[in-house]
Amino acid sequence: MAHYLLYIDPGSGSYLVQVIVAAIVGIGFFFKNIKIYIRSLFTRSSKKTNDNPPA
Amino acid sequence: MRPNIIAHPSSYRDPSGFIFEKDGVLYRQINLSFKEHFDHFIQSGCYENLVKKGLIVAHENVGENLTGDDNYYKTVQPQRLDFISYPYEWSFDRLKDAALLTLQLVKEALVFDMILKDATAFNVQWHDGRLLFIDTLSFEKYSETPWIAYRQFCENFLAPLLIMHHSKKQMPGLFLSWPDGIPLDIASSLLPKRSRFSLYTYLHIHLHAKISAKKNEGSHQPQALSRQKLLNLISSLESLVNKLKIPEQKSTWSEYYAEAGQRKDYLEQKKKIIKAWLDKMPGLQLAADLGANEGEFSQLLAEKNVSVVAADFDPYCINRLYNKIKETKERNIQPLVIDLANPSPGTGVNNEERTSFINRLNTDLVLALALIHHLAIGKNIPFDRIAELFGQTCKNLVIEFVPKDDEKIQLMLSQKKDIYTGYTEENFRKALERYFIIIDKASIPGSGRILFLLTKNEG
Repeated sequence: MAHYLLYIDPGSGSYLVQVIVAAIVGIGFFFKNIKIYIRSLFTRSSKKTNDNPPA
Repeated sequence: MRPNIIAHPSSYRDPSGFIFEKDGVLYRQINLSFKEHFDHFIQSGCYENLVKKGLIVAHENVGENLTGDDNYYKTVQPQRLDFISYPYEWSFDRLKDAALLTLQLVKEALVFDMILKDATAFNVQWHDGRLLFIDTLSFEKYSETPWIAYRQFCENFLAPLLIMHHSKKQMPGLFLSWPDGIPLDIASSLLPKRSRFSLYTYLHIHLHAKISAKKNEGSHQPQALSRQKLLNLISSLESLVNKLKIPEQKSTWSEYYAEAGQRKDYLEQKKKIIKAWLDKMPGLQLAADLGANEGEFSQLLAEKNVSVVAADFDPYCINRLYNKIKETKERNIQPLVIDLANPSPGTGVNNEERTSFINRLNTDLVLALALIHHLAIGKNIPFDRIAELFGQTCKNLVIEFVPKDDEKIQLMLSQKKDIYTGYTEENFRKALERYFIIIDKASIPGSGRILFLLTKNEG
Protein backbone atom coordinates (compact mmCIF):
# COMPACT_ATOMS: atom_id res chain seq x y z
CA MET A 1 0.00 0.00 0.00
CA ALA A 2 1.44 3.36 -0.98
CA HIS A 3 2.56 5.23 2.09
CA TYR A 4 1.09 8.60 1.17
CA LEU A 5 -2.36 7.09 1.28
CA LEU A 6 -2.12 6.55 5.00
CA TYR A 7 -3.66 9.90 5.84
CA ILE A 8 -6.38 7.76 7.28
CA ASP A 9 -4.95 6.02 10.29
CA PRO A 10 -6.19 2.45 10.05
CA GLY A 11 -4.49 1.47 13.32
CA SER A 12 -2.66 -1.84 13.51
CA GLY A 13 -5.39 -3.15 15.83
CA SER A 14 -7.89 -2.72 13.02
CA TYR A 15 -5.78 -4.92 10.74
CA LEU A 16 -5.57 -7.64 13.34
CA VAL A 17 -9.30 -7.50 14.05
CA GLN A 18 -10.04 -7.86 10.34
CA VAL A 19 -8.06 -11.07 10.20
CA ILE A 20 -9.83 -12.44 13.27
CA VAL A 21 -13.29 -11.36 12.11
CA ALA A 22 -12.76 -12.68 8.58
CA ALA A 23 -11.66 -16.04 9.96
CA ILE A 24 -14.60 -16.35 12.37
CA VAL A 25 -17.09 -15.26 9.71
CA GLY A 26 -15.44 -17.74 7.32
CA ILE A 27 -16.00 -20.59 9.80
CA GLY A 28 -19.59 -19.44 10.24
CA PHE A 29 -20.16 -19.46 6.48
CA PHE A 30 -18.56 -22.90 6.22
CA PHE A 31 -21.09 -24.41 8.60
CA LYS A 32 -23.91 -22.38 7.12
CA ASN A 33 -23.08 -23.76 3.69
CA ILE A 34 -23.10 -27.30 5.04
CA LYS A 35 -26.49 -26.61 6.59
CA ILE A 36 -27.79 -25.20 3.31
CA TYR A 37 -26.37 -28.19 1.42
CA ILE A 38 -27.97 -30.73 3.74
CA ARG A 39 -31.26 -28.87 3.63
CA SER A 40 -31.08 -28.73 -0.17
CA LEU A 41 -30.70 -32.53 -0.31
CA PHE A 42 -34.02 -32.90 1.44
CA THR A 43 -35.74 -30.19 -0.52
CA ARG A 44 -34.54 -31.63 -3.80
CA SER A 45 -35.63 -35.16 -2.90
CA SER A 46 -39.08 -33.96 -1.85
CA LYS A 47 -39.36 -31.97 -5.07
CA LYS A 48 -38.46 -35.04 -7.08
CA THR A 49 -41.32 -36.99 -5.60
CA ASN A 50 -43.66 -34.13 -6.38
CA ASP A 51 -42.45 -33.85 -9.94
CA ASN A 52 -43.01 -37.51 -10.64
CA PRO A 53 -46.26 -38.01 -12.45
CA PRO A 54 -48.57 -40.47 -10.73
CA ALA A 55 -48.19 -43.92 -12.16
CA MET B 1 -2.01 28.11 -6.93
CA ARG B 2 -3.51 30.90 -9.01
CA PRO B 3 -5.09 33.74 -7.00
CA ASN B 4 -8.61 33.29 -8.42
CA ILE B 5 -8.70 29.66 -7.26
CA ILE B 6 -10.25 28.89 -3.90
CA ALA B 7 -9.54 25.40 -2.55
CA HIS B 8 -12.64 24.12 -0.78
CA PRO B 9 -12.10 24.34 3.01
CA SER B 10 -13.20 20.71 3.48
CA SER B 11 -10.81 19.36 0.86
CA TYR B 12 -7.43 19.23 2.58
CA ARG B 13 -7.07 15.73 4.01
CA ASP B 14 -6.52 13.59 0.95
CA PRO B 15 -3.25 14.15 -0.96
CA SER B 16 -4.80 12.49 -4.04
CA GLY B 17 -6.44 15.74 -5.12
CA PHE B 18 -8.82 18.45 -4.01
CA ILE B 19 -12.01 20.34 -4.77
CA PHE B 20 -11.78 23.98 -5.74
CA GLU B 21 -13.98 26.75 -7.04
CA LYS B 22 -13.31 29.01 -9.99
CA ASP B 23 -15.78 31.61 -11.22
CA GLY B 24 -18.53 29.96 -9.20
CA VAL B 25 -17.95 26.52 -10.76
CA LEU B 26 -16.85 23.54 -8.66
CA TYR B 27 -13.93 21.44 -9.97
CA ARG B 28 -11.82 18.57 -8.71
CA GLN B 29 -8.10 18.35 -9.35
CA ILE B 30 -6.51 14.92 -9.44
CA ASN B 31 -2.89 15.07 -8.34
CA LEU B 32 0.01 13.44 -10.17
CA SER B 33 0.70 11.24 -7.15
CA PHE B 34 -2.70 9.54 -7.64
CA LYS B 35 -2.32 9.03 -11.40
CA GLU B 36 -1.95 5.23 -11.29
CA HIS B 37 -5.07 4.70 -9.19
CA PHE B 38 -7.22 7.21 -11.04
CA ASP B 39 -6.25 5.81 -14.44
CA HIS B 40 -7.17 2.32 -13.25
CA PHE B 41 -10.46 3.63 -11.86
CA ILE B 42 -11.40 4.99 -15.28
CA GLN B 43 -9.81 2.42 -17.58
CA SER B 44 -11.01 -0.66 -15.72
CA GLY B 45 -14.63 0.48 -16.17
CA CYS B 46 -15.12 0.85 -12.40
CA TYR B 47 -16.15 4.51 -12.68
CA GLU B 48 -18.55 3.85 -15.56
CA ASN B 49 -20.17 0.95 -13.71
CA LEU B 50 -20.70 3.00 -10.54
CA VAL B 51 -22.12 5.98 -12.45
CA LYS B 52 -24.41 3.74 -14.49
CA LYS B 53 -25.78 2.25 -11.28
CA GLY B 54 -26.32 5.74 -9.85
CA LEU B 55 -23.97 5.11 -6.92
CA ILE B 56 -21.37 7.84 -7.38
CA VAL B 57 -21.34 11.37 -8.69
CA ALA B 58 -20.63 11.74 -12.43
CA HIS B 59 -18.04 14.18 -13.74
CA GLU B 60 -16.84 15.70 -16.98
CA ASN B 61 -13.22 16.00 -18.01
CA VAL B 62 -12.00 19.55 -18.25
CA GLY B 63 -8.57 18.83 -19.74
CA GLU B 64 -6.89 21.98 -18.46
CA ASN B 65 -4.67 22.82 -15.50
CA LEU B 66 -6.88 25.50 -13.94
CA THR B 67 -4.88 25.80 -10.71
CA GLY B 68 -1.41 26.16 -12.25
CA ASP B 69 -0.33 23.56 -9.71
CA ASP B 70 2.84 21.45 -10.35
CA ASN B 71 1.18 18.38 -8.89
CA TYR B 72 -1.64 18.59 -11.46
CA TYR B 73 -2.65 15.45 -13.32
CA LYS B 74 -6.27 16.03 -14.36
CA THR B 75 -9.19 18.36 -13.74
CA VAL B 76 -12.77 17.14 -13.70
CA GLN B 77 -16.03 18.97 -13.16
CA PRO B 78 -18.35 16.96 -10.91
CA GLN B 79 -22.09 17.22 -11.31
CA ARG B 80 -23.30 19.93 -8.91
CA LEU B 81 -25.65 18.90 -6.11
CA ASP B 82 -28.53 21.09 -4.98
CA PHE B 83 -27.82 21.02 -1.27
CA ILE B 84 -24.99 19.51 0.77
CA SER B 85 -26.03 18.07 4.13
CA TYR B 86 -24.12 16.52 7.00
CA PRO B 87 -24.65 13.37 9.10
CA TYR B 88 -25.72 15.45 12.11
CA GLU B 89 -28.72 16.43 10.00
CA TRP B 90 -29.73 12.91 8.97
CA SER B 91 -32.33 10.62 10.44
CA PHE B 92 -31.54 7.03 11.41
CA ASP B 93 -32.58 5.29 8.20
CA ARG B 94 -30.62 7.70 6.04
CA LEU B 95 -27.44 6.99 8.01
CA LYS B 96 -28.19 3.27 7.76
CA ASP B 97 -28.66 3.49 3.98
CA ALA B 98 -25.43 5.52 3.71
CA ALA B 99 -23.65 2.67 5.54
CA LEU B 100 -25.12 0.09 3.17
CA LEU B 101 -24.15 2.19 0.14
CA THR B 102 -20.57 2.42 1.43
CA LEU B 103 -20.39 -1.37 1.80
CA GLN B 104 -21.94 -1.86 -1.63
CA LEU B 105 -19.23 0.36 -3.11
CA VAL B 106 -16.52 -1.81 -1.55
CA LYS B 107 -18.02 -4.88 -3.21
CA GLU B 108 -18.60 -3.18 -6.57
CA ALA B 109 -15.05 -1.80 -6.63
CA LEU B 110 -13.51 -5.19 -5.80
CA VAL B 111 -14.86 -6.60 -9.06
CA PHE B 112 -12.55 -4.11 -10.80
CA ASP B 113 -9.64 -4.81 -8.45
CA MET B 114 -10.21 -1.60 -6.53
CA ILE B 115 -10.94 -0.82 -2.90
CA LEU B 116 -12.67 2.06 -1.14
CA LYS B 117 -10.00 3.83 0.89
CA ASP B 118 -12.27 6.32 2.63
CA ALA B 119 -15.45 5.49 4.53
CA THR B 120 -16.57 8.76 6.08
CA ALA B 121 -20.31 9.39 6.25
CA PHE B 122 -19.77 12.92 4.90
CA ASN B 123 -19.02 11.45 1.46
CA VAL B 124 -22.58 10.20 1.07
CA GLN B 125 -24.84 12.95 -0.20
CA TRP B 126 -28.33 13.23 -1.65
CA HIS B 127 -29.22 13.78 -5.27
CA ASP B 128 -32.39 13.19 -7.27
CA GLY B 129 -34.11 11.34 -4.46
CA ARG B 130 -31.29 8.93 -3.66
CA LEU B 131 -27.98 8.63 -1.86
CA LEU B 132 -24.88 9.31 -3.89
CA PHE B 133 -21.19 8.87 -3.05
CA ILE B 134 -19.36 12.07 -3.95
CA ASP B 135 -15.65 11.34 -3.56
CA THR B 136 -14.28 10.18 -6.90
CA LEU B 137 -10.79 9.90 -5.39
CA SER B 138 -11.73 7.34 -2.75
CA PHE B 139 -10.91 4.35 -4.95
CA GLU B 140 -7.43 2.87 -5.07
CA LYS B 141 -5.98 -0.31 -6.53
CA TYR B 142 -6.61 -3.39 -4.42
CA SER B 143 -3.70 -5.58 -3.45
CA GLU B 144 -5.11 -8.26 -1.12
CA THR B 145 -4.37 -6.18 1.98
CA PRO B 146 -6.80 -5.51 4.86
CA TRP B 147 -9.40 -2.77 4.33
CA ILE B 148 -7.74 0.52 5.22
CA ALA B 149 -11.06 2.21 5.98
CA TYR B 150 -12.43 -0.54 8.22
CA ARG B 151 -12.00 1.31 11.49
CA GLN B 152 -13.35 4.48 9.90
CA PHE B 153 -16.43 2.57 8.80
CA CYS B 154 -16.96 1.14 12.29
CA GLU B 155 -16.60 4.58 13.91
CA ASN B 156 -18.62 6.52 11.31
CA PHE B 157 -21.48 4.12 10.77
CA LEU B 158 -21.59 1.10 13.06
CA ALA B 159 -20.97 2.96 16.31
CA PRO B 160 -23.71 5.62 15.99
CA LEU B 161 -26.19 3.17 14.44
CA LEU B 162 -25.62 0.63 17.22
CA ILE B 163 -25.90 3.23 19.97
CA MET B 164 -29.20 4.48 18.51
CA HIS B 165 -30.46 0.93 17.94
CA HIS B 166 -29.77 -0.18 21.50
CA SER B 167 -31.01 3.00 23.16
CA LYS B 168 -34.05 3.09 20.83
CA LYS B 169 -33.49 6.85 20.46
CA GLN B 170 -32.37 8.89 17.48
CA MET B 171 -29.30 11.03 18.13
CA PRO B 172 -28.09 12.75 14.96
CA GLY B 173 -26.23 15.19 17.22
CA LEU B 174 -23.64 12.48 17.99
CA PHE B 175 -21.89 13.56 14.79
CA LEU B 176 -21.50 17.09 16.09
CA SER B 177 -19.45 15.80 19.00
CA TRP B 178 -17.53 13.27 16.93
CA PRO B 179 -17.46 14.32 13.26
CA ASP B 180 -14.84 11.65 12.52
CA GLY B 181 -17.07 8.98 14.00
CA ILE B 182 -17.48 7.79 17.58
CA PRO B 183 -14.14 6.45 18.86
CA LEU B 184 -14.42 2.69 19.39
CA ASP B 185 -13.57 2.77 23.10
CA ILE B 186 -16.33 5.35 23.71
CA ALA B 187 -18.80 3.41 21.57
CA SER B 188 -17.91 0.22 23.42
CA SER B 189 -18.53 1.80 26.82
CA LEU B 190 -21.77 3.51 25.72
CA LEU B 191 -23.28 0.28 24.43
CA PRO B 192 -25.15 -1.94 26.90
CA LYS B 193 -23.46 -5.11 28.20
CA ARG B 194 -25.94 -7.31 26.35
CA SER B 195 -24.61 -5.99 23.03
CA ARG B 196 -21.51 -8.19 23.66
CA PHE B 197 -23.69 -11.24 23.11
CA SER B 198 -24.24 -10.26 19.50
CA LEU B 199 -21.27 -11.85 17.72
CA TYR B 200 -20.75 -9.17 15.08
CA THR B 201 -21.23 -6.29 17.52
CA TYR B 202 -18.72 -7.94 19.82
CA LEU B 203 -16.18 -8.38 17.03
CA HIS B 204 -16.53 -5.08 15.19
CA ILE B 205 -16.89 -2.82 18.22
CA HIS B 206 -15.92 -4.38 21.55
CA LEU B 207 -13.05 -6.60 20.46
CA HIS B 208 -11.97 -4.00 17.90
CA ALA B 209 -11.80 -1.37 20.67
CA LYS B 210 -9.88 -3.71 22.97
CA ILE B 211 -7.26 -4.66 20.41
CA SER B 212 -6.89 -1.08 19.15
CA ALA B 213 -6.26 0.14 22.69
CA LYS B 214 -3.20 -2.12 23.05
CA LYS B 215 0.11 -0.44 22.40
CA ASN B 216 1.52 -1.03 18.98
CA GLU B 217 4.69 -2.93 19.75
CA GLY B 218 6.62 -3.37 16.53
CA SER B 219 4.69 -4.13 13.41
CA HIS B 220 1.81 -6.52 13.92
CA GLN B 221 0.38 -5.62 10.57
CA PRO B 222 -0.55 -8.72 8.68
CA GLN B 223 0.59 -8.45 5.12
CA ALA B 224 -2.40 -9.93 3.44
CA LEU B 225 -6.11 -10.49 3.70
CA SER B 226 -7.47 -12.56 0.85
CA ARG B 227 -10.30 -11.30 -1.30
CA GLN B 228 -12.64 -13.98 0.08
CA LYS B 229 -11.80 -12.99 3.64
CA LEU B 230 -12.40 -9.33 2.85
CA LEU B 231 -15.77 -10.26 1.35
CA ASN B 232 -16.56 -12.20 4.53
CA LEU B 233 -15.75 -9.10 6.56
CA ILE B 234 -17.99 -6.91 4.38
CA SER B 235 -20.84 -9.39 4.48
CA SER B 236 -20.67 -9.54 8.29
CA LEU B 237 -20.87 -5.73 8.41
CA GLU B 238 -23.78 -5.75 5.98
CA SER B 239 -25.67 -8.35 7.95
CA LEU B 240 -25.18 -6.39 11.17
CA VAL B 241 -26.25 -3.04 9.65
CA ASN B 242 -29.31 -4.65 8.08
CA LYS B 243 -30.52 -5.80 11.49
CA LEU B 244 -30.36 -2.33 13.05
CA LYS B 245 -33.57 -0.38 13.38
CA ILE B 246 -35.16 2.38 15.35
CA PRO B 247 -38.64 1.76 16.73
CA GLU B 248 -41.47 3.85 15.38
CA GLN B 249 -42.13 6.37 18.10
CA LYS B 250 -45.02 8.64 18.79
CA SER B 251 -43.29 11.99 18.71
CA THR B 252 -44.46 15.52 19.35
CA TRP B 253 -45.74 16.00 15.83
CA SER B 254 -46.35 12.50 14.58
CA GLU B 255 -50.08 12.89 14.40
CA TYR B 256 -50.04 16.49 13.40
CA TYR B 257 -51.69 16.10 10.02
CA ALA B 258 -54.28 13.61 11.21
CA GLU B 259 -55.18 16.00 13.99
CA ALA B 260 -54.91 19.15 11.88
CA GLY B 261 -57.13 17.48 9.32
CA GLN B 262 -59.93 17.44 11.82
CA ARG B 263 -59.90 21.22 11.95
CA LYS B 264 -62.45 21.61 9.18
CA ASP B 265 -60.68 21.90 5.92
CA TYR B 266 -57.88 24.05 7.31
CA LEU B 267 -55.13 22.14 5.50
CA GLU B 268 -56.97 22.13 2.18
CA GLN B 269 -57.66 25.87 2.32
CA LYS B 270 -54.04 26.53 3.18
CA LYS B 271 -52.86 24.43 0.25
CA LYS B 272 -55.23 26.22 -2.11
CA ILE B 273 -53.83 29.64 -1.20
CA ILE B 274 -50.20 28.52 -1.41
CA LYS B 275 -50.76 26.73 -4.73
CA ALA B 276 -52.21 29.90 -6.24
CA TRP B 277 -49.19 31.89 -5.05
CA LEU B 278 -46.72 29.30 -6.36
CA ASP B 279 -48.39 29.45 -9.78
CA LYS B 280 -47.35 33.10 -9.93
CA MET B 281 -43.72 32.31 -9.07
CA PRO B 282 -42.03 30.65 -12.04
CA GLY B 283 -38.33 29.82 -12.06
CA LEU B 284 -38.01 28.62 -8.47
CA GLN B 285 -35.08 26.22 -8.17
CA LEU B 286 -34.22 25.67 -4.53
CA ALA B 287 -36.69 26.05 -1.68
CA ALA B 288 -36.86 25.09 1.98
CA ASP B 289 -39.85 24.00 3.99
CA LEU B 290 -38.91 24.91 7.56
CA GLY B 291 -40.91 23.01 10.13
CA ALA B 292 -41.82 20.58 7.36
CA ASN B 293 -43.28 17.86 9.56
CA GLU B 294 -43.98 14.99 7.16
CA GLY B 295 -43.55 17.13 4.08
CA GLU B 296 -47.16 17.69 3.03
CA PHE B 297 -46.34 21.20 1.81
CA SER B 298 -42.88 20.32 0.47
CA GLN B 299 -44.83 18.12 -1.91
CA LEU B 300 -46.55 21.17 -3.48
CA LEU B 301 -43.11 22.49 -4.45
CA ALA B 302 -41.73 19.10 -5.48
CA GLU B 303 -44.64 18.71 -7.91
CA LYS B 304 -43.45 21.89 -9.60
CA ASN B 305 -39.98 20.37 -9.94
CA VAL B 306 -38.51 22.66 -7.29
CA SER B 307 -35.76 21.09 -5.18
CA VAL B 308 -36.86 21.29 -1.54
CA VAL B 309 -34.99 20.98 1.73
CA ALA B 310 -37.64 19.71 4.15
CA ALA B 311 -36.36 20.51 7.63
CA ASP B 312 -37.87 19.66 10.98
CA PHE B 313 -36.42 19.27 14.45
CA ASP B 314 -38.24 16.00 15.04
CA PRO B 315 -36.02 13.12 13.80
CA TYR B 316 -38.96 10.70 13.87
CA CYS B 317 -41.02 12.85 11.47
CA ILE B 318 -38.00 13.23 9.22
CA ASN B 319 -37.32 9.51 9.30
CA ARG B 320 -40.90 8.80 8.25
CA LEU B 321 -40.62 11.36 5.46
CA TYR B 322 -37.31 9.79 4.38
CA ASN B 323 -38.91 6.36 4.13
CA LYS B 324 -41.95 7.76 2.35
CA ILE B 325 -39.68 9.39 -0.23
CA LYS B 326 -37.83 6.10 -0.74
CA GLU B 327 -41.12 4.34 -1.30
CA THR B 328 -42.67 6.90 -3.65
CA LYS B 329 -39.34 7.63 -5.41
CA GLU B 330 -39.90 11.36 -4.95
CA ARG B 331 -36.86 13.07 -6.48
CA ASN B 332 -37.12 16.65 -5.27
CA ILE B 333 -37.31 16.50 -1.47
CA GLN B 334 -34.33 16.15 0.88
CA PRO B 335 -35.54 15.60 4.47
CA LEU B 336 -33.22 16.91 7.20
CA VAL B 337 -33.28 17.09 10.98
CA ILE B 338 -32.77 20.76 11.87
CA ASP B 339 -33.56 22.56 15.09
CA LEU B 340 -34.18 26.17 14.04
CA ALA B 341 -33.46 27.34 17.57
CA ASN B 342 -30.02 25.77 17.18
CA PRO B 343 -29.26 25.14 13.48
CA SER B 344 -26.06 23.27 12.57
CA PRO B 345 -23.02 25.49 13.18
CA GLY B 346 -19.90 25.83 11.05
CA THR B 347 -17.64 22.97 12.12
CA GLY B 348 -14.25 21.45 11.43
CA VAL B 349 -10.95 23.20 10.76
CA ASN B 350 -11.28 26.97 11.34
CA ASN B 351 -15.04 26.39 11.54
CA GLU B 352 -15.02 26.46 7.75
CA GLU B 353 -14.75 22.83 6.78
CA ARG B 354 -18.48 22.27 7.05
CA THR B 355 -20.64 25.32 6.58
CA SER B 356 -23.41 26.27 8.98
CA PHE B 357 -26.98 25.43 7.96
CA ILE B 358 -27.90 29.09 7.53
CA ASN B 359 -24.91 29.82 5.29
CA ARG B 360 -25.71 26.81 3.11
CA LEU B 361 -29.36 27.72 2.82
CA ASN B 362 -29.51 30.17 -0.03
CA THR B 363 -32.98 29.60 -1.40
CA ASP B 364 -35.47 31.16 -3.80
CA LEU B 365 -38.28 30.47 -1.39
CA VAL B 366 -38.86 29.49 2.22
CA LEU B 367 -42.13 28.05 3.50
CA ALA B 368 -42.62 28.68 7.21
CA LEU B 369 -46.03 27.24 7.98
CA ALA B 370 -47.43 26.90 11.50
CA LEU B 371 -43.90 27.56 12.71
CA ILE B 372 -43.79 31.09 14.11
CA HIS B 373 -45.50 30.33 17.43
CA HIS B 374 -43.11 27.44 18.13
CA LEU B 375 -40.15 29.76 17.77
CA ALA B 376 -41.65 32.92 19.30
CA ILE B 377 -43.61 31.36 22.16
CA GLY B 378 -42.17 27.83 22.45
CA LYS B 379 -38.56 29.04 22.36
CA ASN B 380 -38.94 32.73 23.36
CA ILE B 381 -37.17 33.92 20.19
CA PRO B 382 -38.04 37.57 19.43
CA PHE B 383 -39.68 38.35 16.05
CA ASP B 384 -36.61 40.37 15.02
CA ARG B 385 -34.31 37.36 15.34
CA ILE B 386 -36.77 35.11 13.50
CA ALA B 387 -37.08 37.65 10.67
CA GLU B 388 -33.27 37.74 10.48
CA LEU B 389 -33.24 33.96 9.88
CA PHE B 390 -35.53 34.37 6.87
CA GLY B 391 -33.70 37.49 5.70
CA GLN B 392 -30.49 35.46 5.49
CA THR B 393 -31.89 32.39 3.78
CA CYS B 394 -34.46 33.28 1.12
CA LYS B 395 -35.52 35.63 -1.65
CA ASN B 396 -39.23 34.92 -1.16
CA LEU B 397 -41.12 33.87 1.90
CA VAL B 398 -44.49 32.29 2.56
CA ILE B 399 -45.19 32.50 6.26
CA GLU B 400 -48.18 31.75 8.42
CA PHE B 401 -49.06 33.99 11.33
CA VAL B 402 -50.82 32.20 14.16
CA PRO B 403 -52.75 34.69 16.34
CA LYS B 404 -52.44 34.54 20.09
CA ASP B 405 -56.03 33.41 20.65
CA ASP B 406 -55.41 30.34 18.49
CA GLU B 407 -56.19 27.13 20.37
CA LYS B 408 -52.63 25.81 19.84
CA ILE B 409 -51.09 28.89 21.42
CA GLN B 410 -53.60 28.78 24.26
CA LEU B 411 -52.58 25.18 24.85
CA MET B 412 -48.91 26.23 25.00
CA LEU B 413 -49.74 29.11 27.34
CA SER B 414 -51.62 26.82 29.69
CA GLN B 415 -48.21 25.30 30.56
CA LYS B 416 -46.25 28.53 30.93
CA LYS B 417 -46.59 32.14 31.96
CA ASP B 418 -47.78 34.55 29.27
CA ILE B 419 -44.87 36.97 28.92
CA TYR B 420 -45.54 37.48 25.23
CA THR B 421 -47.23 40.88 25.19
CA GLY B 422 -45.33 41.77 22.01
CA TYR B 423 -46.76 38.78 20.12
CA THR B 424 -49.04 40.72 17.76
CA GLU B 425 -49.61 40.67 14.03
CA GLU B 426 -48.40 44.26 13.82
CA ASN B 427 -45.04 43.50 15.48
CA PHE B 428 -44.68 40.39 13.36
CA ARG B 429 -45.20 42.38 10.16
CA LYS B 430 -42.85 45.16 11.26
CA ALA B 431 -40.06 42.66 11.98
CA LEU B 432 -40.42 41.02 8.57
CA GLU B 433 -40.63 44.36 6.76
CA ARG B 434 -37.03 45.09 7.73
CA TYR B 435 -36.04 42.50 5.11
CA PHE B 436 -39.13 41.92 2.97
CA ILE B 437 -42.02 43.62 1.18
CA ILE B 438 -45.47 42.12 1.67
CA ILE B 439 -46.85 41.06 -1.72
CA ASP B 440 -50.05 39.36 -0.62
CA LYS B 441 -51.95 38.35 2.48
CA ALA B 442 -54.74 35.79 2.89
CA SER B 443 -56.76 34.57 5.84
CA ILE B 444 -57.16 30.82 6.12
CA PRO B 445 -60.94 30.42 6.46
CA GLY B 446 -62.21 29.05 9.73
CA SER B 447 -58.89 29.27 11.58
CA GLY B 448 -58.04 32.92 12.30
CA ARG B 449 -54.57 32.24 10.91
CA ILE B 450 -53.07 34.43 8.20
CA LEU B 451 -50.71 33.60 5.33
CA PHE B 452 -48.27 36.21 4.05
CA LEU B 453 -46.38 36.20 0.78
CA LEU B 454 -43.26 38.34 0.95
CA THR B 455 -40.35 39.14 -1.31
CA LYS B 456 -36.92 40.40 -0.38
CA ASN B 457 -36.56 44.13 -0.07
CA GLU B 458 -33.35 44.55 -2.07
CA GLY B 459 -33.10 48.28 -1.38
